[in-house]
Amino acid sequence: MNRPIVELNNVSVRKSRRWLLDRINLSVRDREFVGIIGPNGAGKTSLLNVIAGFEKFSGELCLFGRSETWIRGRKTRVRIGYVPQSFDIDPAFPILAKEAVMTGACGRAGLFRSPGKIEQDRAAAVMEMMRVAHLADRPLGHLSGGERQKISLARAILQRPEVLLLDEPTANLDIAVQKEVLNLIGEIYERESMSVLFVTHDFNLLPDSMKRAVFLNHGRIVFDGDVNDALTGANLSRLFEYPLETFMRNGRRFVSFG
Amino acid sequence: MVESIFESLKYLPVQRALFACVLCGLSCSLLSVFVVLLRVPLIGVSMSHAAFAGAVFGMLTGIHPVAAGFVACLVVAGILGPFSDRARMAPENMLGILFSFLIGLAFLGMGILTRTKAGALNLMWGNLMSISAMDLVLLAVITFILLLFISVFFKEIRVVLFHRRFAASCGVPERAIYYGLLFLTGAVVASNLSTVGGLLIFALLIQPGATAMQLTYNLKLFFLTAALAGIGACVSGLLLSYYFDLPSGASVVLMATAIFVVAFLVSPKRRSAKQTKRNPYAQDA
Repeated sequence: MNRPIVELNNVSVRKSRRWLLDRINLSVRDREFVGIIGPNGAGKTSLLNVIAGFEKFSGELCLFGRSETWIRGRKTRVRIGYVPQSFDIDPAFPILAKEAVMTGACGRAGLFRSPGKIEQDRAAAVMEMMRVAHLADRPLGHLSGGERQKISLARAILQRPEVLLLDEPTANLDIAVQKEVLNLIGEIYERESMSVLFVTHDFNLLPDSMKRAVFLNHGRIVFDGDVNDALTGANLSRLFEYPLETFMRNGRRFVSFG
Repeated sequence: MVESIFESLKYLPVQRALFACVLCGLSCSLLSVFVVLLRVPLIGVSMSHAAFAGAVFGMLTGIHPVAAGFVACLVVAGILGPFSDRARMAPENMLGILFSFLIGLAFLGMGILTRTKAGALNLMWGNLMSISAMDLVLLAVITFILLLFISVFFKEIRVVLFHRRFAASCGVPERAIYYGLLFLTGAVVASNLSTVGGLLIFALLIQPGATAMQLTYNLKLFFLTAALAGIGACVSGLLLSYYFDLPSGASVVLMATAIFVVAFLVSPKRRSAKQTKRNPYAQDA
């Protein structure tokens, strides 16, 4: 089995007298696709924030075999890609789609050095792969939510991360664009050598590559195992504290109210 | 009129005022790009009031007003960053409280100032015609440092302006860049106390950036447009004040507003947005 690249031992986050994460133990291996699933306020985003280095925490976090705090250097940060749920941008903001993608190459280039021709060619290739090459010269603020999300993914891939953190990347998108973005995430996972942590609470649109599911509730891990074992009516009803049931159709699992 | 302009340039105070105008317009307009794109206008207001409050207290305690304003700005910049990053309340509210506290402090100082208040009022809206050589040197040094900072870290600044969290996640030292910009805002505001003053400078920290926002999608051109708008406002404001005997700071600010209004009216960005609004299917066509 591949080496673990993300390890959390008794990691906790406390804010406003509330435990957002409560003694989390989690290990993610190289090239693993893990779904982080749970209701609103379960601590899913806080977990990603801890791994990305956006959130202070107590406990031990090991990244790529090294113990890390929330303050970390460029060399560790560039190995972790991050795609938020969505991001607001003023329609008049002075940045084109291709420039937004190129920002992903800034960290690896380092200070006092601009990304060169190789990175520019790579950015063009990544935009081609994400089917957004035709948008390259459009102002980012003029793009639709789905197009912006693909640009955000392209930016994260250009960073060449070893771990990709996706925080509900298909939320706020219509169902057709959700499916398209999910397919692209699957393609990225197959083509690029990276681990993926995918936060969601929509079970009807899970990427096919996701083999492991981690259920989070009230800041604690309540299930960690195979995605097929996870998605049962009983497990989901317990997690969401609401009667839910699952059924299969055309080889796919769907969740509905019980 | 043109002849009399060249005639007046023979005098040292006018030469100094003109040079100060260019530096003031350049430094404030470059910073206005950050204020407008990071959407932190209250940071500009807080900083300008910190400079003003510091200068008034400098006058009270016998310290050089510009030096005291400088220290006050740097102190506020040092606490603004962590406050707006970590405070549990919305940063806008936090800055609003800080801003009102600073203006209260400044007027308290004005109230207990026993000697003439003319000096303090000059710090409020500046006086370009009475600028000293020392003020000019300080302004030139700060403007040079700002230009250097923008040229060296342009790539990092672009990511920070675009999305601070993206910048942090891809390994750009976003906190260092952001705090650097805050300190430079403090330094620019303090060094411009004697040109446009601690209150009116706020206009120059917004309007050149807002003007550029109407005209271009290219960040390099954005900086250039803002700089031209800022310098243009300062120089034309100075000329107006010289020929019509008006307060120079107020003339500069009114010219900056006029330039913004013209840019807004001719804005190609606004026109294309209007067209898209009129035809909601235009993007799909």
